[in-house]
Amino acid sequence: MNSLALKGNPGDGERMAIMSGRHQAFGLWGLLLLIVMAHGCAPGGSTEVGPRAPVPPVSAVGLAPDEPLRVVATTSIVADVVRNVGGDAIALTQLMPLGADPHAFESTPQDAGVISDAHVVFINGVGLEVFMDRLLASAGGNTPVVTVSDGIRLLAFAGEHADDEALADEDHGEDDPHVWFDPNNVKVWVANIESALSELDPDRATTYRENAQAYLAELDALDGWIREAVTVIPEDRRGLVIDHSVFTYFAHAYGFEQVGTITTGGSTLSQPSAREMAALQEAIVDHGVRAIFVSTTVNPRMAEQLARDTGIQVVPIYTGSLSDASGPAGTYLAFMRYDVGRIVEALR
Amino acid sequence: MAPLLEILVAPLRYPFMVRGIVAAILVGIVCALVGTYMVLRGMAFLGDALAHSILPGIAVGYIVSGGGRGPIFWWGLGTGILTALGIGALGKGAQVKEDTAIGIIFSGMFALGIALISTMRSYAVDLSHFLFGDVLGVSPSDLWLTAGLAVLVSVIVFVFYKEFLVLAFDSTLAETLRFPSGFLHYLLMVLIALTIVVALQTVGIALMVAMLTTPAATAYLLTKRMAPMMGIAALIGAVSGIVGLYLSYYVSVASGAAIVLVCTGIFLLALLFSPRRGIVRGWLQSRG
Repeated sequence: MNSLALKGNPGDGERMAIMSGRHQAFGLWGLLLLIVMAHGCAPGGSTEVGPRAPVPPVSAVGLAPDEPLRVVATTSIVADVVRNVGGDAIALTQLMPLGADPHAFESTPQDAGVISDAHVVFINGVGLEVFMDRLLASAGGNTPVVTVSDGIRLLAFAGEHADDEALADEDHGEDDPHVWFDPNNVKVWVANIESALSELDPDRATTYRENAQAYLAELDALDGWIREAVTVIPEDRRGLVIDHSVFTYFAHAYGFEQVGTITTGGSTLSQPSAREMAALQEAIVDHGVRAIFVSTTVNPRMAEQLARDTGIQVVPIYTGSLSDASGPAGTYLAFMRYDVGRIVEALR
Repeated sequence: MAPLLEILVAPLRYPFMVRGIVAAILVGIVCALVGTYMVLRGMAFLGDALAHSILPGIAVGYIVSGGGRGPIFWWGLGTGILTALGIGALGKGAQVKEDTAIGIIFSGMFALGIALISTMRSYAVDLSHFLFGDVLGVSPSDLWLTAGLAVLVSVIVFVFYKEFLVLAFDSTLAETLRFPSGFLHYLLMVLIALTIVVALQTVGIALMVAMLTTPAATAYLLTKRMAPMMGIAALIGAVSGIVGLYLSYYVSVASGAAIVLVCTGIFLLALLFSPRRGIVRGWLQSRG
């Protein structure tokens, strides 16, 4: 099932195109594919996304003295970290708009143009940006792509209805792409971004190094702040339930347990079966879970009903995207402080 | 507790299952009542078309409300009724045949829906709930709305029973009796649109036509009389909803698909074993 979902993982627009085509000659195949995807899971590991077209290596590009390096980043979170390392020395384009769900994002022809004009593209990787392979192919494949998560110790999806072993086994071994919920992983991003920028633009390597050092210090401070902040949550209240599996790394780093998720797999793009909903409700009761966290980009209906039935609250948090600059999660650092604040508030 | 009873009762411990089953029963019955007329009058394609053509209404409702259930519902209903009337009007004219009119309007509306959704790049994913349904996420207030509309549809079906009956079986007679057949035709279209919006949450747009036609078509294999046909269809619709949700619980498959598969299974059984014109009976007769 996963392998089929991986082969062609069109976004919503394309799925609908398949649907309208179902009245014509494609017949059942379009419908079949669509059903499989409706209930399917998104890819987890970057290695599983099939053969990627060879990407040019990162090497120095000739820039005029006042010409900035043209850099593209996929999600708003990757873009924010790249902005901190590149500073004013780069011209940064963020591919996905604020509020976009990375699992569901559908690229446009302009995106391919932006990428083919860029000197480098930074992606989260680990299968998060499912649209990326097609986009790179249509952009001509001449732009180097840097996976900022390279070198992070990846974890498999954790706590998917932990009480239901048969279900948990289905996804065993797939890597969770939501690495940014541990600032220590973002330090790896910073190192990857700094080295890529310095190789592309050696003249400004000092700037990049200084920016990276300063930001690494802020990430360390953030890590220390989170450790301090979560101490007020008692051990027996550290069960987390969330719409899709984003807390794997957070739970691992700060001593929480991801008790369950509403959609299985790492994606927002699937519908739970009745059995999965029931298993999750059991897990909530058994673990004394006090809140269901829901991404701001996801329809909270299922979570609201589960919360109603179990008498707990629904807490919206940011997961795959920052808020706009005036919002509470305008930068990665603010994003983590906001989410951790909500978690502490709900569970203490 | 006896094992069978345990199997039946276990899922009912979960309130979301109870709400889902009630919603599925209501939807199964309403779809079957309206579907009976659709099957008799050969309007299955129209039903599928109407289901797809409410997409732009849902998209607009989503954009104006940011995801609130109520606006999405009413926008969907308005679009469904407008489309039904539009198809009726275009089909009545001499320029194009009705199935051509349906094809043109439905694909145009669906394209409009896709275009609208593509303008809101951030939230497109949530519309999968409307394509495939989310019967497990039914809230108590959704249930009241569903029940209210189900009663409304049933009352209209009951009040116009005789008129629809004549229209379905003998449109010449309907003309002779000076029935307002134009009005009745539009009324039926509006009923179908209403039913589709009611059933939206259970099976979604993509599988809607199955709920409308399969139970009624199955009943048609078993009886030729209108009232029993409606009764059997409603029973099949309700049973499919219940069995489908149990299947979703025990086999762990998506609920909307499970409900439709049960419907299809019952249809195939009737096709094979119907005492009146089942394939098996025909085969036995040809040998004897």
